[in-house]
Amino acid sequence: MSTQNETSLSGFNEGDLQRLVEFAQLVTSAQDAMNDDIVNRLASTFSEGINMLDRLTRNEGLLHLLREMDRPENQAFLVCLSNAFTEVSRDLATTPPKGGGIGCLLKLLSDPGVQEGMRLFAMVASRMSDGLRELHRKGLGS
Amino acid sequence: MRILVVGGGTAGTIIGNNLARRLGPETRAGKVRLTMLSASDRHMYQPGLLYVAFGQMAPDQLYRDQASLLEPNIEFHVDPVKQFRLDKNQVVTEAGKTHEYDIMVIATGSRMVPNETPGLTEGAEFFYTEASAVKMYKALREFTGGRVVVAVGVPHKCPIAPVEVMFSLNDFFKARGIRDKVQLEYYYPIGRIHTIENVAKWAKPEFEKIGVKTETLFNIREVDAKNRILKSEEGTEVPYDMLIVIPQHRGMEVIERDNMGQGGWIPTDRYKLTMNGHDNVYVVGDTTNLPVSKTGSAAHFQAEVVAENIASIVKIGSPVRDYDGKVYCFIEAGHDKATYAMFNYLNPPELKPPSKPMHWFKLSYNQMYWTSVRGLL
Repeated sequence: MSTQNETSLSGFNEGDLQRLVEFAQLVTSAQDAMNDDIVNRLASTFSEGINMLDRLTRNEGLLHLLREMDRPENQAFLVCLSNAFTEVSRDLATTPPKGGGIGCLLKLLSDPGVQEGMRLFAMVASRMSDGLRELHRKGLGS
Repeated sequence: MRILVVGGGTAGTIIGNNLARRLGPETRAGKVRLTMLSASDRHMYQPGLLYVAFGQMAPDQLYRDQASLLEPNIEFHVDPVKQFRLDKNQVVTEAGKTHEYDIMVIATGSRMVPNETPGLTEGAEFFYTEASAVKMYKALREFTGGRVVVAVGVPHKCPIAPVEVMFSLNDFFKARGIRDKVQLEYYYPIGRIHTIENVAKWAKPEFEKIGVKTETLFNIREVDAKNRILKSEEGTEVPYDMLIVIPQHRGMEVIERDNMGQGGWIPTDRYKLTMNGHDNVYVVGDTTNLPVSKTGSAAHFQAEVVAENIASIVKIGSPVRDYDGKVYCFIEAGHDKATYAMFNYLNPPELKPPSKPMHWFKLSYNQMYWTSVRGLL
């Protein structure tokens, strides 16, 4: 008849015990490698990280923005915006600056692409004004 | 509803943030207004002072800007209360402003009063303020050997501190290589070496192991700083080369001035945490006269109860929880080991053997404190 200890150990084989010993050695070596400064730094990072995560997850504006980012047309818009900045940056770096003056400004304004851009910004400004008015009406803007 | 939190320490900050989280929709809709009055624009992690006294933390690590710890829907003023007008539900501040409230939380804390014992300020080291902790560290660094006497005044903040100091002194002098030249002595005012019986039972043999001489029923009467002699109410005299005192504490002056509680401790319902006779005034942390430790942990557990109850009063018109007296204290036990004492009104603490992981848990908590006061932990 087996004793209670033998019964409780009967599920283990030598390999299991060896792995337990190895795990204990791993924990011991990690403990030996740690010191108070490491613990302080890790805890500080964790603490600040969790505070930041808490603020982000309770930021309604950010969550709304993330929901908007799920929409394909918004993702496409961001890609377009990014591409535009890349191309402009390249153009600026490779084109010499214009002479300046009223003449140059008029020439720039008569460019259909510039006019299209101004129209875009005017439309964005108009929509933003409506949105801000709505936010303040709901009491969320102050 | 106007909720006024007086005091920006551990309890006040946790209550403010907890209420701001629970009552977010109500504050945005203008149904609830949360206001906090504090004496300082900075928040100190007070348990860190012990580490400063032993050179293990720099003073600037103890502070954060109070405003940075508060939720944005809390109206914060650095303007301490000069007068409580409980009959009118008003307080008047040092700047002369009057704040009205429907519910008020008093969390003004406590202060050490070493000047009430003759000779103590001149003759002893403390660590309950930044300046005194830095001074104590410098004195310890320069100490070359002799009799180090630790004596305890009552009541005092953080009951575990005297025990921790002994272990820290033992470690400090060992690390400096002069432990054999130092005699450590511990003097406690009641008939055992700690107010909590199980802590006393645990600490006594631990002290013996590290060679600390103990004496009980020793109540500090005065210090003869010139001749370096500590005198007790019981008539004994103890010469010393270095004297470290856990000074007597009192509640804040404004509480005593307005006759709200003897010694500055406000009579408080032990379960509801309301001021006796004033159901719309809550008292938390060191400010209470409750028979629980004056520690950040007690303040924390009380703050959670009070915040939940105030939020419930706003939402359903009734409180929902009682405070059970819960306290959780880390105990640094030397040799990079620590243990803890957890207890409440019904259950005394049962101390576990000290371990290194508990010491790291305590070090981690020193950093996590800021997460705690933000109302997250």
